[in-house]
Amino acid sequence: MAIAEFSWGESRSRFAFSGVTGSKLSDEVLIGNARWFIIFRWGVIGILILFQIVAVIASDTLTEAGITHQQGWPLAITLVLCIANIVCIYALDSRRQSSYNSPSINIWAQIIIDLLCLSVVVHYVGSIATPAPFFYVLHIALSCIFFSAMESLIVTILVCIMYAIVLVIETPLLFLSPQSVLIGSGTSGINPHKIDILSWMFTLDVLFVIVWYVVSRLAIVVRTRERQLLDAYEQISRAQVEKDRYAVLMTHQLKAPLDAIRSKINLIKGDYCGEVSPEIKDVIAKIDYRASGMAGLILDVLKLERLKAAARSENAREHVNIEAVIRKCVDKLHPIANSRHIDIKVSVEDFVVEGIRNQLEILFENIISNAIAYSYDGASVEIASIIDRQSLSTMVTVTDHGIGIGEKDLPHIFDEYFYTPRAVLHNRTSSGIGLSIVKTVAENNKLQIKVSSEPNKGTAFSVVFQGEKSASVAEKGVQEPGSPVAHPASPQAGSLEPTG
Amino acid sequence: MHATLQHSEPGKLAGQRSNPVLAEEDSAKQRIAHVDDDPDIRDTVKRILSANGYIVDSYQTMGDFLESLRESENPPDLAILDVMVETMDAGLEAFVEIRKRLPQLHMIFMTSLGEEIRPYFTGVSDEWILIVEKPVEPASFLSIIRSRLEKANAEI
Repeated sequence: MAIAEFSWGESRSRFAFSGVTGSKLSDEVLIGNARWFIIFRWGVIGILILFQIVAVIASDTLTEAGITHQQGWPLAITLVLCIANIVCIYALDSRRQSSYNSPSINIWAQIIIDLLCLSVVVHYVGSIATPAPFFYVLHIALSCIFFSAMESLIVTILVCIMYAIVLVIETPLLFLSPQSVLIGSGTSGINPHKIDILSWMFTLDVLFVIVWYVVSRLAIVVRTRERQLLDAYEQISRAQVEKDRYAVLMTHQLKAPLDAIRSKINLIKGDYCGEVSPEIKDVIAKIDYRASGMAGLILDVLKLERLKAAARSENAREHVNIEAVIRKCVDKLHPIANSRHIDIKVSVEDFVVEGIRNQLEILFENIISNAIAYSYDGASVEIASIIDRQSLSTMVTVTDHGIGIGEKDLPHIFDEYFYTPRAVLHNRTSSGIGLSIVKTVAENNKLQIKVSSEPNKGTAFSVVFQGEKSASVAEKGVQEPGSPVAHPASPQAGSLEPTG
Repeated sequence: MHATLQHSEPGKLAGQRSNPVLAEEDSAKQRIAHVDDDPDIRDTVKRILSANGYIVDSYQTMGDFLESLRESENPPDLAILDVMVETMDAGLEAFVEIRKRLPQLHMIFMTSLGEEIRPYFTGVSDEWILIVEKPVEPASFLSIIRSRLEKANAEI
């Protein structure tokens, strides 16, 4: 007994809000942030050094501005920050990651050292008289970006505690005095300075918590969006794979029956079913010719779809020997040319370009097979190259002396499924997508194509490889070192020929 | 990697398996195994190869072929495999299994999609695989078979 379960209504919570926890950044991002934090700190160190220079030059002005007279703390802070930076760089770059040396711990250490230093600065510069305590906000915002909301809340609490400690150190009886005052002489006796300090502490603590709340929510929203983008990208990639599988399956289902028919036809043509009359052979040949056209069209549709999908793949680019590519295409098309007594003359110089090898093969195969298809029987097709060493551009031209293309049709030849009645009359197997494939390859490989044609005289297709990146002209017989095309007679080239 | 449709094992339903037990005179002939779910392709390949002095064992499914390899102590000289037989990946999966069990057995893939199927081999095997596009054209098909068998013999 077979049991199968099907479900299509699966509701993946792709766009669910991820909540407060579980929104940690990856180690890679944390390392990047830790480095950025270190660079930022070098900036702060620079400012501190500048401050000390200014303090030496204009100490009186600073004292007037309410900043406590220097006792060497800027120098101490500068040193501590320098040492912290060096230790953090060493831990990031030279030590292996362990449970005691993770990017997260590194950032935590940096934040705590910074907070301690800032507290010292706040203490000396003035905890309520100057805007120094507002710099705590920076650390809260950074921790919201670097850490989860819970961890950044811990940093916020730490900031509140440190600021309170700074205030308590400055006024040791801050929390005790109101009580003693109350006992002594009632509410009227409260020192207004202490109320001032307490209100500063309360206001700033509220500010810190609000900043934490706002920035951590923003960080969560940004991270959620980031994950949604990643999800969407994965979905697109999966859909692309599925689409390709579907295209492959459909192509196979369409072409397989044709191949069975053509295999049987080949049995008759090859005299495996006994002698047949020339009339039947003629009819059989015509059936096979039309069937081969249809098989070609089916494969071309798949090729075109794949080429369009491959437009984004930059990693397949390599050094390709164009002469080898053209030889391979000519070898493949020789039987067709021979059957119509068409002579293919190749005089291509040896040169290497950067591109996607199999796509360039498809491009030349299509251009050369078009030249053969639209030639008159017994004519010739010439393939020649011109290398312009000054502009580093190379042009390969495929010239035929066939039916040519009319002036009004010429602008449309690269349109999908476009063919002219003249072309169909000459070549019944035309699919109308051969040149769309050429166009897509040219787009993918950033090539330029020039076409010149005269009806009943012939057509010349020129493929131009140019630009600093694409053309790297090699001297004849000299191959690019390490280039995979250094051996044109690879085993693939020799034995890849399909049977039909 | 890809989800596959699980088909029930057709068992002996295939009925396409030729009798490998042949007369002594055939012992010098080379044996070629051919797997394809299309009866017309099986018939064509068998006719062409038999007429040219080869013994052909035809199988409808990869399962049948793998079973015959398990039972027989005398593997064929060459195997011609369809890629998309039963499922999209059956040919590739069988290839991996046969490569493990019989590393010396030469294999050719024959498929309607020709070179367009090659992306599916990426990651399956590092070795270069010969892919022949259908339909079967006797002259070029025979030349491929001969060159492959010569290569196989040269290795022995």
